[in-house]
Amino acid sequence: MKILLVDDEQKFVNMLAKRMALRGIEADVAYTGEEAIKKAEKTIYDVAVLDIKMPGISGIQLKEKLSPLHANLKFIFVTGHGAIEKLEDEDSGAEKDIYISKPLNIEFLIETIEDLIQAG
Amino acid sequence: MNDMLNYMNTEGLKFFGKVNASISHELKNILAIISETAGFLNDLTELAKQGKELKLALLENCSNSIAEEIQRGFTTIKQMNRFSHSVDVPVMEVNLVEILELTAGLSGFLSFASNVRIENKGDDVKTITTCPFLLQNLIYQILCFAYESAGPTGEIRLHLSTENDKGVLLGFFSSAQMPAEKFPDEKIKKAADALGIEFKKNHSFYELNILIPYGCDKIKQAEKSV
Repeated sequence: MKILLVDDEQKFVNMLAKRMALRGIEADVAYTGEEAIKKAEKTIYDVAVLDIKMPGISGIQLKEKLSPLHANLKFIFVTGHGAIEKLEDEDSGAEKDIYISKPLNIEFLIETIEDLIQAG
Repeated sequence: MNDMLNYMNTEGLKFFGKVNASISHELKNILAIISETAGFLNDLTELAKQGKELKLALLENCSNSIAEEIQRGFTTIKQMNRFSHSVDVPVMEVNLVEILELTAGLSGFLSFASNVRIENKGDDVKTITTCPFLLQNLIYQILCFAYESAGPTGEIRLHLSTENDKGVLLGFFSSAQMPAEKFPDEKIKKAADALGIEFKKNHSFYELNILIPYGCDKIKQAEKSV
């Protein structure tokens, strides 16, 4: 299992990657959408965990750019947005995305990642 | 109703909500870092219980990181508090540098914000009589207009200078070309009008200027009606 974590909050995403590594999960980090695209061009990831609000390319825009690179790549959005229900309602995609609010529960995040991979 | 109060009623609440939403987003990010760092410390403790060596440098890094984020949280809450109290007195004498610092800080929570530098802060104190809340709203809107072009890697310089006895000239200098022909838009025009602020005609692709009066009839009328 290989995960791509993308967030402009560098400390947050680095700490998350360290905690995943302690649980045997390999996770790469990117601080911008551009950096994430470069990494995804070289490496195949199973799941991308994207912050929604980032300078430059937003998480939603990033999904659109990463999807054509890997058809099987799954997405989880992480956000500090106050109302996740609103984001879910606004999501008009055929396949509903998963939104998780900050601060995270790492066990819940890993469980969600595993469920996504198993669902294929 | 006076222009200023009318604008405050229609646009003020929207602005207040927008700023508060961006502050809550910032606070959530801070809490997320503290939460992950505390979680990592917990992970290390569990490993130490199983006999793994606990590296002191890691513990030190974690405690430093938590302390930094708590300080960032304090700064954010202080800004939120100052912003919230800016509606307490509708018209008052204000220090323009303080207003610029607060507004630049608040707009900095936006994901597309550029770096803002306030120049000549140490010069003679620029005090004016105005509606602080609405002035923040206007400066916030102009900064957002400038951020759209400069982006997160760009810089906006704010420059204050006195313009005879008319008021204080505030210049917004961008590192990137701005669509000056679209400035000011309707919302910015309304906010400026409510405050008696003039747009200087020397706008360029890299420079926008507004003239903030020391006080004006509109503000005096509003003060009386409040």
